[in-house]
Amino acid sequence: MGRQIVHRLLISFPALLGVLFLCFCLLQVVPADPAIIIAGPDARQETIDAIRRDLGLDRPIIFQFVDYIGRVLRGDLGRSIISNKMVSEELAHTIGPTVELMLGGMLFAVPIGLFLGTLAAVQRGGMLDRIIMAFSVAGVSMPIFFIGLLLIQYVGFKWALLPFTGRTGPVWAGGLPSLVLPALTLGSVLIGPIARLTRTAVLEVLGADFVRTARAKGLREATVILHHALRNALIPVVTLIGLQAAFLLGGAVVTETMFSWPGVGRLAVGAIVSSDFPTAQGAIMILAIAFLVINLIVDVLYVYLDPRVQRS
Amino acid sequence: MTAETLHANAASDSAAGPTLPGRAHLLRRLMRDRIAAAAALVLGTVVLAAVFAPLVSPYDPYLTDLTKVMRPPDAQHWFGTDNTGRDIFSRTIYGARNTLMLGLVGVIFGGLFGGVLGILAAFYQRLDGPIMRLVDVMLAFPAILIGLAVAAIFGAGLAAVVIALVVATVPDVARVARGAAVGVMGQEFMEAGRAVGVSDRTLMWRYLTLNCISTIFVFLTLRFGQIILIGSALGFLGMGAQPPTAELGMMAAQGRDFLFMAPHIATIPSLAIFVIVLAANLLGDAMRDVLDPRLQQ
Repeated sequence: MGRQIVHRLLISFPALLGVLFLCFCLLQVVPADPAIIIAGPDARQETIDAIRRDLGLDRPIIFQFVDYIGRVLRGDLGRSIISNKMVSEELAHTIGPTVELMLGGMLFAVPIGLFLGTLAAVQRGGMLDRIIMAFSVAGVSMPIFFIGLLLIQYVGFKWALLPFTGRTGPVWAGGLPSLVLPALTLGSVLIGPIARLTRTAVLEVLGADFVRTARAKGLREATVILHHALRNALIPVVTLIGLQAAFLLGGAVVTETMFSWPGVGRLAVGAIVSSDFPTAQGAIMILAIAFLVINLIVDVLYVYLDPRVQRS
Repeated sequence: MTAETLHANAASDSAAGPTLPGRAHLLRRLMRDRIAAAAALVLGTVVLAAVFAPLVSPYDPYLTDLTKVMRPPDAQHWFGTDNTGRDIFSRTIYGARNTLMLGLVGVIFGGLFGGVLGILAAFYQRLDGPIMRLVDVMLAFPAILIGLAVAAIFGAGLAAVVIALVVATVPDVARVARGAAVGVMGQEFMEAGRAVGVSDRTLMWRYLTLNCISTIFVFLTLRFGQIILIGSALGFLGMGAQPPTAELGMMAAQGRDFLFMAPHIATIPSLAIFVIVLAANLLGDAMRDVLDPRLQQ
């Protein structure tokens, strides 16, 4: 398995380099000269030149890129133009909440999706199957902010059951209530695809020889479905979760903005709106790296779940 | 065998890949599916309303009327009015126009670039590696992030969303197109074409592309709903259309500030997106079943 992971890491490397280059270009292609922005509107030419030298903006672009990678590796992402704090510091405060939100969303969506998908497969062609599948198509077609708006309006405001703005703290320090609505919103977009794929995967496995053997051995139906069918069906589902990582990340950005959740996505959106380029660059880079990492984890899980991959 | 008969064979070789069946036949099969027919009806109505927006909308979507702010839906204003007294029904029609346009541009250009990349990768083996690595890097950037990055560089606006949607569509289409094209490349008529000296251009266009096009087309119809969802999410984040331009995602975001006083301002545009995407997804599913059942796997 170790070799598999190393191989995967090697494949991720060009992608990571591409991501870094694009982030680097963010600052390079900006129509306005960063030195002029930092110096302010009334600065003299000498000041601007000094800042440009300071930032290394007068050197060839390839050197600047190498410099940039060096700085990223050292954790130096520059200073926010707005707050003058280190970008890395701002990011450090926001990564936790974003991870918490994503995990919360998955914890909600994965079991429900697996359950509904398996149920639909077992009841294939029946009323329940059709209802679950209709529900899943509707879920896939729903803009994430629509679900969020409904939850805020009813659960948060009308019925006043749960808080709907900000984060009161980490989950272990009484922050759970403020996490529920954002996690429900983010998770809701994943239930549909997971249920749909689980259904297909379970149906495929239920027709396999080893399931017939298990039944012929006289195993209980529940054992056959849970231990034989679902376990094997998990393989495509794990892949799907990897494919949904883009969805999860994009959803997190929207969810954080809606619920004033202090995560990386909200930081990125706020930085873009206020033209705070270093912060925007740092936040976008972290989100892109997070995406690569999620995919890597999924690949490793895949090898773990399906020993056939190891042998091939 | 002459090159001419080969061309005809390549174009009609349905074993090589799914080719488009007769249009009337396809329509009949689609319409027999009641859900698909309903979805087509809904989508068709929305598209017609969007195209003829100036004729259909009862009010000027940009005309504010401060004597009628935040009115709930009634006989005069079917969808009510927003915080500046603008008619939400008219704004929804114009908003759907912009939202659909975004989705369409994203799918058409994304499909074009992605299709060309995929087919080139399958046809020229030495290009396969570099193109697919490029695709991998593109896949490393989720669409919303591309939208954020483009908006960060060039400023928020419809152009930023269009670029993001195109870039987000290209890698997936390239993969699907390459997959389909590799299958066609293995067919005998490709080899025969090469043997009788058909030019690369003709081989690629008349033999390869025409046999892959329905797979790409079906994939794009399946993606259309997703593209609209991404576009409206970017609009909701304020990266897309800027006020007062009507765009459904942005309208929902604006209504968010008045959610507790007048929930319809935010919910109606969101609902409109939901209806459009649902219809597009259902129609896409039905089209896949008719045109290219193999994609289901």
